Amino acid sequence: MAEFYSALAAWADGVRQLPLAHPELLAWWALLTRLLFPILALAMLVQVIRSLVRAAPRPEVWARLALPNGAVQLLTHWENILGRSDSCDLVLNYPVVSRQHAALIRAEDDSWTVHDLGSKSGTAVNGVPVPPQGAPVAMGDVLSLGGVETVLLPLAEDQVPRAPGGDVKPVSPWGSLLLLTLFQLLAAAHFLVFGPEGANLRCAACLLALTGLMWLYFAAMRCAGRVGFEMETVAFFLSTLSLAVTASSAPAALPKQLAAVILGVILLLVLGVFLRDLGRVRKIRWLMAAGAVGLLSLSLLAGTEKYGAANWISLGGLSFQPSELAKLCYIFAGAATLDRLFRKRNLGLFILLTGLCTGCLALMSDFGTAAIFFVTFLVIAYLRSGDFATLSLICGGAVFGALTLVSIKPYILRRFAAWGHVWEQASGAGFQQTRTMSAAASGGLIGVGPGEGWLHNVAAADTDLVFGMVCEEWGLIIAVLAVLCVLALAVFAVRCCRAGRSSFYTIAACAAASLLVFQLTLNVLGSVDILPLTGVTFPFVSNGGSSMLASWGILAFLKAADTRTGASFAAPAPRLRRPQWSRLNASGKEAAHEKD
Amino acid sequence: MKKIEKRALICLVLVFALLAGLALFLVRFLVYGAQWAAFPANRHLYASTGTLAVGRVLDRDGDVLSWVDESGTRQYYANAMVRAATLHAVGDPAGAIGTSALAAFADLLSGYNLLTGADNPFGQGRDLYLTLDARLNYIAYQALNGKKGAVGVYNYETGEILCMMSSPSFDPADPPDIQEGDERYDGVYLNRFLSSTFVPGSIFKTVTLAAAIEQLPDLFDRTFTCTGSVTIGGETITCPHAHGEMDIGGALASSCNGVFAQLALELGADTLEQYAQKAGLTDRYSVDGISTAAGSLSLEGCTDAQLGWAGVGQHNDLVNPCAMMVWMGAVANGGKAAVPRLILKTEGGLPTLPRLTSRTGRLIETDTAQALADLMARAVEETYGADRFPNMDVCAKSGTAEVGGGKAPSAWFAGFLRNEDAPYAFVVLVEEGGSGADTAGTVAAKVLDALVNGY
Repeated sequence: MAEFYSALAAWADGVRQLPLAHPELLAWWALLTRLLFPILALAMLVQVIRSLVRAAPRPEVWARLALPNGAVQLLTHWENILGRSDSCDLVLNYPVVSRQHAALIRAEDDSWTVHDLGSKSGTAVNGVPVPPQGAPVAMGDVLSLGGVETVLLPLAEDQVPRAPGGDVKPVSPWGSLLLLTLFQLLAAAHFLVFGPEGANLRCAACLLALTGLMWLYFAAMRCAGRVGFEMETVAFFLSTLSLAVTASSAPAALPKQLAAVILGVILLLVLGVFLRDLGRVRKIRWLMAAGAVGLLSLSLLAGTEKYGAANWISLGGLSFQPSELAKLCYIFAGAATLDRLFRKRNLGLFILLTGLCTGCLALMSDFGTAAIFFVTFLVIAYLRSGDFATLSLICGGAVFGALTLVSIKPYILRRFAAWGHVWEQASGAGFQQTRTMSAAASGGLIGVGPGEGWLHNVAAADTDLVFGMVCEEWGLIIAVLAVLCVLALAVFAVRCCRAGRSSFYTIAACAAASLLVFQLTLNVLGSVDILPLTGVTFPFVSNGGSSMLASWGILAFLKAADTRTGASFAAPAPRLRRPQWSRLNASGKEAAHEKD
Repeated sequence: MKKIEKRALICLVLVFALLAGLALFLVRFLVYGAQWAAFPANRHLYASTGTLAVGRVLDRDGDVLSWVDESGTRQYYANAMVRAATLHAVGDPAGAIGTSALAAFADLLSGYNLLTGADNPFGQGRDLYLTLDARLNYIAYQALNGKKGAVGVYNYETGEILCMMSSPSFDPADPPDIQEGDERYDGVYLNRFLSSTFVPGSIFKTVTLAAAIEQLPDLFDRTFTCTGSVTIGGETITCPHAHGEMDIGGALASSCNGVFAQLALELGADTLEQYAQKAGLTDRYSVDGISTAAGSLSLEGCTDAQLGWAGVGQHNDLVNPCAMMVWMGAVANGGKAAVPRLILKTEGGLPTLPRLTSRTGRLIETDTAQALADLMARAVEETYGADRFPNMDVCAKSGTAEVGGGKAPSAWFAGFLRNEDAPYAFVVLVEEGGSGADTAGTVAAKVLDALVNGY
């Protein structure tokens, strides 16, 4: 190994001597790679983005419901609302049935429970009225909604557990993987030859290590029979940019950033597997809520200030931002307070949690993250309640609170005073934004080349202004692709709702996607003076361990909502106990009567 | 679940918000990219001292006024006086002169292109040809002889500025250490021609006269008598000496304050302001994107005496030399002149669109312009001496503007040539220059002689 290392170093030195002999050769090579990077990125990402945006998972079938008219309807979610209204999952068009009559909910062990949603005519199972806490429904049981009798049935033996329709398969990952590998190898070679003196080997090694990690992940997942890799491709691409940006701005921090990616992938796996079981999720939601508040109050109490926001904790030489991990806990807790979803629109506890979180962040002067929490809250709360009036009230309250805060601490506004006219205050409050735009323009479409920029000399260039750094060194095409990748994740989350198993997965995925998108909005548009500069990170790309870790963690929520056949490790194919079901099916009626 | 599916569309609202913001950024990137890249903090294009490290500036004859040598250091023309004479047009190493080519046209010099940005692999920087002739600047600088002031000459048909000189100046190859409050370098970073305004004195009488020609139908039948002073509103407005009996042409030729003060009074403050505005003297011009300073005429609530003084270019009147030059061009050109411009062409890098001449609005009616030009030609014959301007059909007006503060008056000389092959308008300002016709007139004569008659 040592021999290989010294041979590599000698080779790199030899290549470094080349420009002395043939300067034009190296210039051509640099130009060629500069042109190749955007082409490779386009080739691998356009396909991935298209696959994410067009994904139309077919709903999975979990059971059937026989109606009095002889028709058999499919239950395609773990939570189904039965009623007369068109917005119900299963429409029962009988006058006696209320608009939203009952909720039929599947548990992890394939048992079903029915809850009456305050219907006028009542709900009964096998003739017994359903009590307020709900009643179990076994296969073959007669579920009566105000006298309209239906029967819960398992899947027929020959039935495919998917709703009918064309199957849109996830795009094959290998093409993108190869292109991304080539991208990383070219970047590693570029850093090896042109990289910062003394750190060029480290830069190249870290990029190659990322390639290794990526192949390991893909190989392991493929062995486990998984086929959907679009999200991971996006995440690995953005992580590559992150390592490149870090190599350019702070080569010493590169191993730390690589470690964060590795930990991030582990977190994705752990969290993804954990999310498989809704029961587990429900059990620890209080812990997660406490975690969110705990992490934020920890940084409020023990935090040190960096770049105007006191949200850093230092532990034994390592500093991290608890607010990044709090985002994970918050989505978890916000999406999981759900078992009463269909009966109670009470958002009280969730509002309290949000108030505590944003309050802590506002006290830390971290208004960007506070805004991210608030927007995530709005998305979750709207998905849960659909109640515009209440949310408008809350928005009004938030505006009032913000105004109060500003009137108490007027200096806060000063940070945003340059917004819209940064060029007039180019050496004052608009310092960072003007540099970002100037550097971004310098990059043109293809960039000046990795490590060749100057924006990294500006404070927070590799975090808050990282969009500018990517524009400068990698070019506008790659920077825009990076943004579009994240947007594609959000569109994917919305499209997955149709085939969502449980509202938890749907809401968590939408919340996670909204969080990523809004954070990206603040980062990108803030750095180029379209929005005020608030100092939040670019998911996956910004240099910083906590942010990287949180971004990979958030990806788990999206993976869990991906119900395309065999696509996601976090949403395994249903294990239906079919033999038992078919027995029940044959003697369904009798079994039900025996129970009586 | 179906409900949540519909509500999830709210996520798309966020997606579209970011897409819209990104689109706005892309549009701005396309439109302003070159300017962003030309920002002096951009280390791809500027040395750490703020010097633009790419691009050459040339004059219209191809004389290279500034370039970057092998070591990346910016160099300037070999002759020290040419360097000083073209300082405000070309620029200083620190980038302190914001209206200079190296600062204001950095986006053109940088060789910026959308594909490779500021880092062009096929050679950095472009050649920017100015419309100026460095020789005329040199002559103007020499003629000014160390005095502060400004000289401008341009072709009123094409808009090309042939001479643009501002003084005080310094040698950009060896910039002096300028202390705050040093009288010698007062306002040295301003191009007086583009960015300053001054009391016009008698050259403003051209505006008062244009108004009188149109508003007072019997003007040319009138006879005026000057006794050396006239009392208006209890104040005395004086002439250097009694001009005696004369018609309006004689009044302009002898620059009689009494006559023009009374004309201003007769016209009224509103009319005077209106004509100054129409003449473009209170507006800004965009000289290839460089905004000139706007003059002003504050007549609100003024007394009769003040209005009288305003009519002869005193009181609070302020004009910008460049705007005055364009006004002269419009009188020469029948009412509309070309808007001045400084960039002849750029070479190297991607081809650029040809630069078109744009014209001003109507600054003066054609008949009025004709009449005014004839009177100004008479002033040259009677007062300034046509023989000072060989081979030239000169129309001009001098000005000797009192500036107060114990300073000697500013000398002005503004006008134009009516020669078909020499359609030039000019303006000369010499601060503390004394008599306009003598001091400024001599500077104008030297520059025009070089321009029209060669060496």
